Amino acid sequence: MRALVLLIALYSGNVFSADYAQQAGSSLGFTGSYQGETFHGSFSKFNSSIRFDPAKLAESRFDVRITLASANTKNAERDEMLVGSEFFNAAAQPEARYTASKFRALGKNRFIADGILSLRGVSKSVPLTFSWTPGARPQLQGTAKVQRLDFKVGIGDWDDLELIPNVVTVNTQLLLSPVATPSAKIKPATTKP
Amino acid sequence: MTLRNNTQTWGSMSIALHWLTLILIIGLAVVGSNMDDLPNGPQKIQVYALHKSTGLTVLALTIIRLVWRMFSITPANVDNTPAWQAMIAKLVHGLLYLLLFAMPITGWLYNSAAGFPLKYFGLFSLPKLSGYNPELKALAGEAHETIFYVLALLMLLHAGAALKHHYLDKDNTLTRMLPWLANKPRG
Repeated sequence: MRALVLLIALYSGNVFSADYAQQAGSSLGFTGSYQGETFHGSFSKFNSSIRFDPAKLAESRFDVRITLASANTKNAERDEMLVGSEFFNAAAQPEARYTASKFRALGKNRFIADGILSLRGVSKSVPLTFSWTPGARPQLQGTAKVQRLDFKVGIGDWDDLELIPNVVTVNTQLLLSPVATPSAKIKPATTKP
Repeated sequence: MTLRNNTQTWGSMSIALHWLTLILIIGLAVVGSNMDDLPNGPQKIQVYALHKSTGLTVLALTIIRLVWRMFSITPANVDNTPAWQAMIAKLVHGLLYLLLFAMPITGWLYNSAAGFPLKYFGLFSLPKLSGYNPELKALAGEAHETIFYVLALLMLLHAGAALKHHYLDKDNTLTRMLPWLANKPRG
């Protein structure tokens, strides 16, 4: 019996115990300003692979893929424009990706991921501040500030910062559940906001 | 010319409100019929914003006009106006006022249902009449367009009647609203 436990422990030793996939109810939203009025948007399609253990920050990894065409700001004209060539240019690059492998602890279950956002062909560092609620089904609540012009979102005449300020705040809430086989490919999940 | 109306003629307040409204409506109609074809961009947003603010101005002017009309005398019809003409004139005037409200309100509703902000000449924000609602947006858009055609038709009828009074009846129906025409030789 003892040998069996040891065997399992050895076998699972190369498997990270904190791999998670997002569950339905997770959300990825953004808040910007347009003509002096705050607007909220959300992505209905995004997929998060989260490997996180507050005790093993060095081994933690985030990988989030976002389907840009799923952006919804509750304004049909604006949504159409948003996926267009002057904004997300989703036809050329349908996905944005956020990856992180460097993490800092802020205390009280709060952390910063020094991740890289790849959007519209530009990859740039974007820190994500988040809180981690541990448990069998942990929750991650994060926020990041993205300078839209760093990623050429809203170019041409749209670079007018009075009309659309540079800062867009991204908010996410991930409801996570453990992944049994972390090496296996995780199927893209669809969540509705 | 006095500020207030009397039983014979319109005062300068009513005259100013009347012609200012006409000028703004012509501008709104010209811009409104063409702005949809503009290429997408901040300039289009500016043109739309101007159309919206001007429309709100007409709404404000119409409220002022109605209040002014309520607390001031309305000049009587010229003598010997047939009863049916008086009735049609009253009906058309009533409908014109109604549509002067309906135009900006349907535009405002359309804007709200489409999810766009509404600022009066960039000065202050106006509340939304509805949340984002594609069905309501389509409905309000159609209403805005249809009401425009009805308003244009009524305005032509209204102007035609004024010209008929001026050129055929040769009475002062038009000149009391357009006083600087009075000194000119009558055609």
